[in-house]
Amino acid sequence: MIKFIRFADALSAWFGKAFAWLIILMAAGTGYEVFVRYVLNSPTAWALDVSFILYGTLFMMAGAYTLSRGGHVRGDFLYRLWQPKNQAKIDLVLYFLFFFPGVSAMIVSGWKYAERSWRYGEVSVNSPAGVPVFQFKTVIVVAGVLLFIQGIAQVMRCIHCMRTNEWLEAEEDVFETEDLLMAQHAEAEKDAHP
Amino acid sequence: MTDPQVALLMLGLFIVMVFLGFPIAFTLMAMGIGFGYYAYFDERRQWRAFNRLEEDAGWWDSASTYAEGLLNNRIFDLFINQTYTVMSNEVLTAVPLFLFMGYIVERANIVDRLFSTLNIASKNVPGSMGVAALITCALFATATGIVGAVVTLMGLLALPAMLKARYDKSFASGIICAGGTLGILIPPSIMLIVYAAASNVSIVRLYAAALLPGFTLVGLYLVYVTGRSILQPSAAPRPSEDEVPDVPGIKLLFMILTSFLPLAFLILAVLGSILFGLATPTEAASIGALGGIVLAIAYRAMKWQRLRESVYLTARTTAMVCWLFVGSYTFSSVFSYLGGEHVISEFVQGLDMSPIMFLLMAQVIIFLLGWPLEWSEIIIIFVPIFLPLLPLFEIDPLFFGILVALNLQTSFLTPPMAMSAYYLKGIAPPEVKLTQIFAGCMPFLICVFISMALMYIFPNIVFYLPNLMYGS
Repeated sequence: MIKFIRFADALSAWFGKAFAWLIILMAAGTGYEVFVRYVLNSPTAWALDVSFILYGTLFMMAGAYTLSRGGHVRGDFLYRLWQPKNQAKIDLVLYFLFFFPGVSAMIVSGWKYAERSWRYGEVSVNSPAGVPVFQFKTVIVVAGVLLFIQGIAQVMRCIHCMRTNEWLEAEEDVFETEDLLMAQHAEAEKDAHP
Repeated sequence: MTDPQVALLMLGLFIVMVFLGFPIAFTLMAMGIGFGYYAYFDERRQWRAFNRLEEDAGWWDSASTYAEGLLNNRIFDLFINQTYTVMSNEVLTAVPLFLFMGYIVERANIVDRLFSTLNIASKNVPGSMGVAALITCALFATATGIVGAVVTLMGLLALPAMLKARYDKSFASGIICAGGTLGILIPPSIMLIVYAAASNVSIVRLYAAALLPGFTLVGLYLVYVTGRSILQPSAAPRPSEDEVPDVPGIKLLFMILTSFLPLAFLILAVLGSILFGLATPTEAASIGALGGIVLAIAYRAMKWQRLRESVYLTARTTAMVCWLFVGSYTFSSVFSYLGGEHVISEFVQGLDMSPIMFLLMAQVIIFLLGWPLEWSEIIIIFVPIFLPLLPLFEIDPLFFGILVALNLQTSFLTPPMAMSAYYLKGIAPPEVKLTQIFAGCMPFLICVFISMALMYIFPNIVFYLPNLMYGS
């Protein structure tokens, strides 16, 4: 079970991180558009389409990664006061009640939606450049599948937590500055007053 | 049950579900689909294929056709369409770029230079360290827009310095908490982009409108800090010579040139190009991100690990905000299809309120929501409930948005979920108590309320710039 959780965490993280680098492309591409518009006086026809395709792909593909690292916002002012095993019980029920139906709908109907788009090689209507969007619509399906796999891992996490009363955290290699600083501070306090 | 009653049930049930602490994006998605299935249910669609089956069709064919019929509901198309709308939203494309700029600037080793420079520059002002801390917070928060980072970095830098100079503990904490929170208000802020995406108000006008109110609030904060320092010098003693050294004018000038100016220039370049119509917010944000990288390289802070962190954290935070939109777009279109919006607006009309009463009620509700919830949930989920009501009272959504943005400053400062205070407590020395931090935030809360009242009495603070630049 723990093996599968680790596998799903790694899978989600791999996809999330790989597509996260699109931000660099996005900054460079949009910067390029500004440059050619003002300096060379010849704006591109594709910049707008490309920027939202990059943005949409980026955040959709990061959905599962964010879930595995507990990054989706919760209304947790009561939740945080509960014992981990009680948190896990509630979560477990809600994963089945809310998460899987929604994500399954995303995969199934996303598939139909993307398939239709592939069939006639759909291109964006925003510009005459004819930027293809069928691959972009496929992102919905892929994001859904990744979420589904991560969801199974989250359910296992809940079961694990109900047994041990302790959340099995995903391996983490990047931290928000505030979390890092607070952790360091807590560590230093512990050393100062053992 | 009639449809509008179902809509109200949907909203009520959702609020209960939020309190269970499940990731809200998925709660919204599932409830949108669930209630949408009911709303768009069409018996003919369900049985159409099944009735066409041959008499002697096998059990597998019948079962699968039946299942397909069950899934033949327009809600599924609506859900995917709404998802795609979020994915191709032109306004939201600026979100990851501004976040990226923020994460880069946050890691550029800039804040300590900025604070020590301003500390020396403001030496002769009453409450000089407090003023320096506040301005550093405001500037740094404007450039990064990430409240937690500003509060913790400044909490490690400015709080010990102020405590050493025998500042009052809660006074010093309040300055940092309130100053760090300004990043979500002063443009280019991400909160305003999110409001623009939720309300269809032009983001450019919103930025122009938020400038003067933002400065008004900073001004009020400064008045409070210097005023209290004058009236109660023991709360903010003058720092001694070795705490803040005297430096010759030419060296100070050099310090300002290398710390204050580049960051201010970056902010002005980004904001200016948006306000003067030279670039869309997305383009300006990408310039800001590239500029942030240049800045980080110039400060020799550009390391591979920091770039990776910025890239990954950008993806996570963008996913957090935008998946919330995916859920709420579906949820709210089902809600209004069921007639929920209509029934609420009828109810509010029946209350026979004057515009000022309505405005007060809305702001009080948003203020109260800010206690347990964070700004992203409030703007994406709850503010859209008020938006259709604004025309009834002839309130401009632009004006409403600015009031909300001011109001949500408080959501970081009020318990039980005062994020700013918790961040500060997380890194403060143990003798600084959480209650002292809250007490220190209170006067700043009052400043926020005063600024909101000022906006109401002099709406021109909001409208002057947008009308001047883009006509009314």
